Amino acid sequence: MGDDLVKALVDLDEDKVRDVVKSRLEAGDDPLGIMDDARKAMEVVGDRFAEGEYFIPELVFAGEILKDMTTAVKPYLNKASEQKYMGKVVLGTVAGDIHDIGKDIVGFMLDVNGFEVHDLGVDVPPRKFVEKVQETESPILALSGFLTLAYDSMKETVEALADAGLRDKVKVMIGGGQISDEIRAYTGADEFGKDAMAGVALAKKFIAAE
Amino acid sequence: MPVIKDISIEIGMEEVLRREGIDAGKDMRPRIKEALDEALEEAGSSGLIEPVAAYESYRSTGMSEAGVRLEGGGEITGSLIPEVFPGADGLVAMVCTIGQGLEDRVREHFENGEQMRGLMLDGIGSAAVDVLSIEACHRVMQSLSARGAAVSSPVNPGMPGLPLTEQAHILELARAGEIGVSLTSGGMLVPRKSASMVIGVGENMPRWTQEQVCAKCFLRKNCLYRVRPATRG
Ligand code: B12
Repeated sequence: MGDDLVKALVDLDEDKVRDVVKSRLEAGDDPLGIMDDARKAMEVVGDRFAEGEYFIPELVFAGEILKDMTTAVKPYLNKASEQKYMGKVVLGTVAGDIHDIGKDIVGFMLDVNGFEVHDLGVDVPPRKFVEKVQETESPILALSGFLTLAYDSMKETVEALADAGLRDKVKVMIGGGQISDEIRAYTGADEFGKDAMAGVALAKKFIAAE
Repeated sequence: MPVIKDISIEIGMEEVLRREGIDAGKDMRPRIKEALDEALEEAGSSGLIEPVAAYESYRSTGMSEAGVRLEGGGEITGSLIPEVFPGADGLVAMVCTIGQGLEDRVREHFENGEQMRGLMLDGIGSAAVDVLSIEACHRVMQSLSARGAAVSSPVNPGMPGLPLTEQAHILELARAGEIGVSLTSGGMLVPRKSASMVIGVGENMPRWTQEQVCAKCFLRKNCLYRVRPATRG
């Protein structure tokens, strides 16, 4: 049965996913098992995306299906097993940059994969990121930027985090455009991600290491 | 100061799909097609795209490796202009925008959980900025060639040799305030769905295609937005 669901979600067969989830829930299947299958399927979707078989719209579509699934499963989760947020993430496009669609997709994929996302929008000054991290006690800061100029803003944001005494409490990941490991080193961030699924994988890694 | 307002922008499905990496010839998932159709309709029918461009031409009073000085005291620094149109005896500074409407609507879609719709509408907006830039350059070319001058293809701040910080000068030169375009403190254009550019004016001005620009860009290998050669290798 699990394979059915994994395959349907990987194939982005919205109706099939809805039917399988419904019948499994009605048959008294463990809702956590259903969510686990969804997680497996999203990993395959991520691989297909990385391999160039799926593109951004397909990724977003998978996210939408996952979101509907989560809504359907939620009432069946008892209090004890109710899925807690995986963790909090503060996200934004750094100061001096306005490219936001990449960031929005990262935010959406983090959200549907169970993270509590605090999106600060675009052109976000370092101080604002630090304030939000303090307010939410988020252990993850995700910075997006597509302009070459954004690398300096990312560096300044990481420095501001250090000045506030938070550097060792918060993991920083960056992404957007041409970001590479060289740029990551320049900015002082912990990791960089090439796409939204890489962002989700990194966020999970950060939380697991906590 | 010339302002161009009467540009009508038609965005086809392929324009948007190309930017999402999807081959227009390929079978499209019904859900994706539906979102794109709706977004195209939304963009077309509700006045979300209000294309407008402002430009001004200036005579050059001196060009060096560091940039170009213009009559009236203006100046554009960076090595790109002297590199690509050394023979220019003047420049056109231009700013165009599709306005704030589409951008606000995209935000609304994202906030209402309509990610796919937002994504498609945003893609339409980016394509519209591209189409507007091309059409506005064409108009400038027509108007200047009527006066006997040739114009080059445009260069944009952000290209190597034309720092983004020059956007401030270009805005001032194009008198972009008249069409409601301003800069954030960090030097970004507001509304966001805007573009700024410089065009060379003189004899024998070089022209190039978007495909040639893409071929030189540092993102040429993996940019979804790139224009690929017609025959694929
Ligand atoms: C679309 C676009 C625009 C749109 C913006 C739309 C929007 N809502 O963001 C518009 C048309 C408005 C625009 C304008 C400009 N742009 Co622009 N733009 C692009 C373009 C073509 C695509 C960027 C994009 O959004 N891609 C779509 C996303 C979804 O694709 P993606 O990168 O694969 O996304 C993934 C990753 O980035 C990653 N990711 C993103 N953030 C994060 C964060 C984390 C933590 C992680 C892990 C991952 C991650 O996940 C995403 C999803 O999988 C790029 C070229 C390019 N190919 O990058 C130029 C580009 C970024 N722009 C550029 C420039 C210069 C400008 C302008 C300044 C040009 C001008 N002078 O007019 C203007 C500025 C306008 C302003 N307001 O000031 C330059 C930057 C050059 C430089 N060296 O700095 C580029 C590189 C184009 C070029 N080759 O010159 N732009």
